[in-house]
Amino acid sequence: MWRFVAGRGAQYLLVLCLTVILNFGLPRMMPGSPMVFLAGEDVGFLTPEQRAQLYALYGLDQPQWRQFVTYVGNLARGQLGYSFQRGRPIGEIVRERLPWTLGLVGTSLVLATFLGVALGAVSAWRRGSALDLGTLGVAMFFESVPSFWLGMIFIAVFAAHLGWFPIFGAGTAGAAFEGWGLVVDRARHLALPLATLTLITVPGMLLIMRYAMLGVLGEQYIATARAKGVPEGRVLRRHAVRNALLPVATVFMLNLGFVVSGATVVETVFSYPGLGRLLYEAVLNRDYPVLQSTFFIITVSVIAANVAADLLYPLIDPRVRRR
Amino acid sequence: MSTLAAAAGLPAVRRRPALGAAGWAGVLVLAALVVMALFAPSLSPHDPEETVGDPFQPPSRAHWLGTNDIGQDIASELIHGARISLTIGFLAAAIAVGIGTAVGVVAGYFGGWTEATLMRAVDLVLVVPFLPLMILLAAYLGPSFWNIIIVIGALVWARPARVIRAQVLAVKALDYVEAACAIGCRHGRVIVRHILPSVLPLALAQFILAASNAILIEASLSFLGLGDPTAKSWGTVLYYAQARNAFLSGAWVWWVIPPGVLITAATLGFAFTGFALEEVLNPRMRGRRGAG
Repeated sequence: MWRFVAGRGAQYLLVLCLTVILNFGLPRMMPGSPMVFLAGEDVGFLTPEQRAQLYALYGLDQPQWRQFVTYVGNLARGQLGYSFQRGRPIGEIVRERLPWTLGLVGTSLVLATFLGVALGAVSAWRRGSALDLGTLGVAMFFESVPSFWLGMIFIAVFAAHLGWFPIFGAGTAGAAFEGWGLVVDRARHLALPLATLTLITVPGMLLIMRYAMLGVLGEQYIATARAKGVPEGRVLRRHAVRNALLPVATVFMLNLGFVVSGATVVETVFSYPGLGRLLYEAVLNRDYPVLQSTFFIITVSVIAANVAADLLYPLIDPRVRRR
Repeated sequence: MSTLAAAAGLPAVRRRPALGAAGWAGVLVLAALVVMALFAPSLSPHDPEETVGDPFQPPSRAHWLGTNDIGQDIASELIHGARISLTIGFLAAAIAVGIGTAVGVVAGYFGGWTEATLMRAVDLVLVVPFLPLMILLAAYLGPSFWNIIIVIGALVWARPARVIRAQVLAVKALDYVEAACAIGCRHGRVIVRHILPSVLPLALAQFILAASNAILIEASLSFLGLGDPTAKSWGTVLYYAQARNAFLSGAWVWWVIPPGVLITAATLGFAFTGFALEEVLNPRMRGRRGAG
């Protein structure tokens, strides 16, 4: 158990270190002045005071190792730097965007897990039936569809032509909703991005659940349960699904990176004001400081979610506790 | 055992299965797309880079899928786009499976701390949110054909590495490998003569699955404006369609749907072929996954 914890911890620490080194190294390795990559494309328009601020912030007149120490120190104190293009500290921008992404990704993960587990279990239970083959076909389709394209189609059909949902954003601009009205407005804006992200996440869960179920259904205790006359529905729910859930929990963690990646694209299509959209805007404007910070925050969030999942894992699998 | 297997719905007798309907469907779709890419100049009605009509034209006899915002023929763009999308898919997959096979074979064969280190690296790559990392790298390196290929290849090798390593572990335990070791063959010779040949078919299946992955990732990167502007892929066409708000007008029917269908067809074609091949080649997979 402790070896497991230490191993995992070391691994996450390594990912974090590599991210920091990458973020520190990339702008300084590029040809030309690192100023461009540290301040963004607009570096030529900076006032002398802003230049001085930039030098002080990154310690650009100091040797590389001092710069690195300054950089890590700033990060440790939660200082992500300054976006000269937006004229705001990056930390502030990120804090504004993070909740939207968390809401979208979190809701989508929960929905996709429930759908994936239920469909995967039924699919394996009725293995080889038309239902199973149909489910697999649909799952393969949604796993192969580009998420942004699915989003574009949804916008064209459900927003532009049918008018059921708003076309972009996370809330109606300029509208002062309160209470219930605000909730409905937010939900209407969330619906299409959520549907898109969930639809591309379900297949991964479904295939793993089905695979795990097929393994469990071949076990002797299932045959035993049937032999002693346990009703089929009970065998499915109590004996099969419960044991098949373990690998799904592992995949749930591995899927985080995938879902966050999907969210990046989906947020862009729907102009949803989350971190993914921020990443896209930063690429578009060549706003390198924001680009870096956003990537850093996304990585940290994924690691944090992994840690949480690792801590919860012993609760669902008693065998891990005893190790 | 066989009665138990039958009760569980598993096939009692296990023969090496043929490719199967899904696999052949995948091969067929791929073949069609490859033909399209190979004969793009003679198949496409217009030069994809020339302005050949008025902008935003609906489909007509002259322009099957209408024209885009600067009057280029969309059908010709898509036919030529097949070359870019498929080439990037193939090359990125080749890099990924190259790295994956090397890592998998070395890790599986040598074991010990070599294996532990390499497999840690694999886990590491799997944890990182890959698309944001790719966006970061692509943004710094600049949008070019080769940068996209290298970035994708360098980040999707982890899955092939895992699968290959598992196969190497199985092969290493076989008698003839042990015999080769016993008569004092050097490591290099054992790997090249005995390990690699038994791993290569599986590497082929992994290559096809990686290509499926790579095409989808390339489409995403190009859609985000990180594709090579001088080599338009299917994703790039969608990038322009999005930038010109094609999905708000009727144009989405001929400007947005076709490139997406092509990307999906290519991804599905590769995936079906890859899964079917994996099932044929990897005995442990058999009967577990796919259309049972």
